[in-house]
Amino acid sequence: MRKDQNLGEYLRMQGVSRRGFLKFCSATASLMALPPSAVSQVAEALATARRPSVIWMSFQECTGCTESLTRSHAPTLESLIFDAISLDYHHTLQAAAGHGAEAAREAAMEENKGEYILVVDGSIPNGNNGYSTIAGISNHDMLIEAAENCFAIVAVGTCAAFGGLPNADPNPTGAVSVSEIIKDKPIINVSGCPPIPVVITGVLAHFLTFGTIPELDALGRPVAFFGQNIHDRCYRRPFYERGQFAETFDDEGARKGWCLYKLGCKGPTTYNACATLKWNQGTSFPIQSGHGCIGCSEPRFWDKGGFYDPISAGQWGSRDALLGAAAAGAALGVGSALAARARKKKAQAAEEI
Amino acid sequence: MTLLEFASGPGLQWALWIFVFGITWRVVGAVFLLSRKDISKPRHTNTISAGLGAVWSRSSPARAFEKKIRFQHVTGYAWHFALFISVLFFAPHILFFESVLGFSWPHLPNTIILITAIVATAVLIALLIRRATHPVQRFISNADDYISIFVVLVPLVTGILAFTHFGARYETLLAVHLLSVEVMLIWFPFGKLMHMIMTIPARFQAGTAFGRRGVKA
Amino acid sequence: MSSLDTIPVCTEVATGNVEPLLHEIRHALKRLAEGKEGTVIDLKRLPLAPGEEERIAATLGTGEVRAEIDALGPTLIQETSYPGVWLITHKNADDVVVARFVEVTYIPELLRSQQADIDAGINRLENELKN
Ligand code: SF4
Ligand code: SF4
Repeated sequence: MRKDQNLGEYLRMQGVSRRGFLKFCSATASLMALPPSAVSQVAEALATARRPSVIWMSFQECTGCTESLTRSHAPTLESLIFDAISLDYHHTLQAAAGHGAEAAREAAMEENKGEYILVVDGSIPNGNNGYSTIAGISNHDMLIEAAENCFAIVAVGTCAAFGGLPNADPNPTGAVSVSEIIKDKPIINVSGCPPIPVVITGVLAHFLTFGTIPELDALGRPVAFFGQNIHDRCYRRPFYERGQFAETFDDEGARKGWCLYKLGCKGPTTYNACATLKWNQGTSFPIQSGHGCIGCSEPRFWDKGGFYDPISAGQWGSRDALLGAAAAGAALGVGSALAARARKKKAQAAEEI
Repeated sequence: MTLLEFASGPGLQWALWIFVFGITWRVVGAVFLLSRKDISKPRHTNTISAGLGAVWSRSSPARAFEKKIRFQHVTGYAWHFALFISVLFFAPHILFFESVLGFSWPHLPNTIILITAIVATAVLIALLIRRATHPVQRFISNADDYISIFVVLVPLVTGILAFTHFGARYETLLAVHLLSVEVMLIWFPFGKLMHMIMTIPARFQAGTAFGRRGVKA
Repeated sequence: MSSLDTIPVCTEVATGNVEPLLHEIRHALKRLAEGKEGTVIDLKRLPLAPGEEERIAATLGTGEVRAEIDALGPTLIQETSYPGVWLITHKNADDVVVARFVEVTYIPELLRSQQADIDAGINRLENELKN
């Protein structure tokens, strides 16, 4: 696709009929969590959409997010979204390497000044910057440089959005999220470990279609995908209401598909689209496969107690501390009783005189 | 640290420490005050049955007052019963107790809990209004009464809100609910909520003392 | 036989979303019959338990019309046993379902020949005849 072409022209050149285009639009609207009535609006916007330039940077990460994304990279529909954006730089997916690749990145940044979308996966070591470098440039410096002239940043994955695993206690590299470093650009957090692939494409499709920042929640996540918690959309919810819980992973309740709350399901405090969009082309999601949600799209989910501890369990400290408090209380109790008795004796003695 | 992490971590720990400390202090203090020897000759020696008798007889109104205090009597029982069910038989609560105590027990369906919780809240509010408006009750109430009612009322209301996901996000509501319970735990040993622990032993003790002296009460 | 097959899996879970959806379809159908607008329902936007999407399809049944469109992968258009209620399944070239809709209308828009395609067709035909 040539840069000066709009998407409608491009698709027509590819031999995609208007029917095919409409199909693409309804799938895209569905992907973006828009009501079906918005399809004509989407069609209109997409027909004249310009392809945004995307620069993708991977910092301190495990490539799981990119893996997830390429899983959504099925032929036709979703790949059209990718053809429609211009992925000018991606460490992992691009063919170029070394200084040539860096030169391509700089050229793309220069050419699309103020307009390109910067996608980041992975956290950024913010202390000793030497923990993660690319071509000798630290992640920290590269992020600042790339962010300077971007239109917006998409932080893909919990690491980029909230610090994720590298940031988990004791955080040896001093890892932080994108938003800890960049303060003056719109940042869209597409969290998840990894994020649902179609959510990544959905956000890119939003840019492609409307060229704007989607509506975000308090944690900077697109409301269309992160507006509801897993629990509110979970098909096991009726069991929760009836108080039918699996007690272990292989008991009668587990087999009958009962609620996983007691086994540590974090669905009630986790905001993500798993329960409706599901994973692997909509096949299933963790709860459907019998495992509770671990809250992977929430900040600091590694450090919020055990994955198998129920949400309502409290960290009550050690037994010793409680015994200590009891001993202190008992001592004070005995002391005050003795003092009261002594006072009484004294008063009696005084009376007798 | 998020609000929920604080509420279910350090907040809870401190509240429990203060709770345990305060309760042992008051219970041990009260027990030690008892140990005064009674050197008079006992009229009756079967003081245990007298003690149990007092625990029982004081659980229902005296004949003469029955009509007059029916409202308090009925609402009092309704309140305690509904609260008891809501606190002890809601599945997430049991998981909470299990995390502290190490053992658990069967739970009731959520709909029943929701009903008992709403009943408890409604009765408590009715009792609070009565306390504040009834001239005699007003006269005998002090700040302790109002604080004690308040610190119990807030966990109930926040609990219902958290349960119904009403007003704010669940994690926020849950955190507020936990914090309100912690306030209640901290207040518990130092105010009239101690009646939960003291009522039955106190009745028993008074019963045995009266029994020893041959007083029928 | 592997031991996996011996684990019984229960799929009879209900979200309680099927009934309301069927009612929504009924209301939409009534609106259509009254001469008002049609309705499109995105099935991928509802929390459904495993097996529920199939239950919806089974309840709606299959009607007289069945069409397949070949554009950017196959799209299946099936009139259900309730005339005016269509089940539309978009697949990509890998035969993976990418979107599924219930459309309540006289004829799904996608079945009509599109103006742009007609124009392109005229061109092609004219070119064909010129040679
Ligand atoms: S399995 Fe988890 S998300 Fe589903 S109802 Fe139970 S607690 Fe909620
Ligand atoms: S169900 Fe929960 S833990 Fe699992 S992927 Fe979704 S948000 Fe993450």
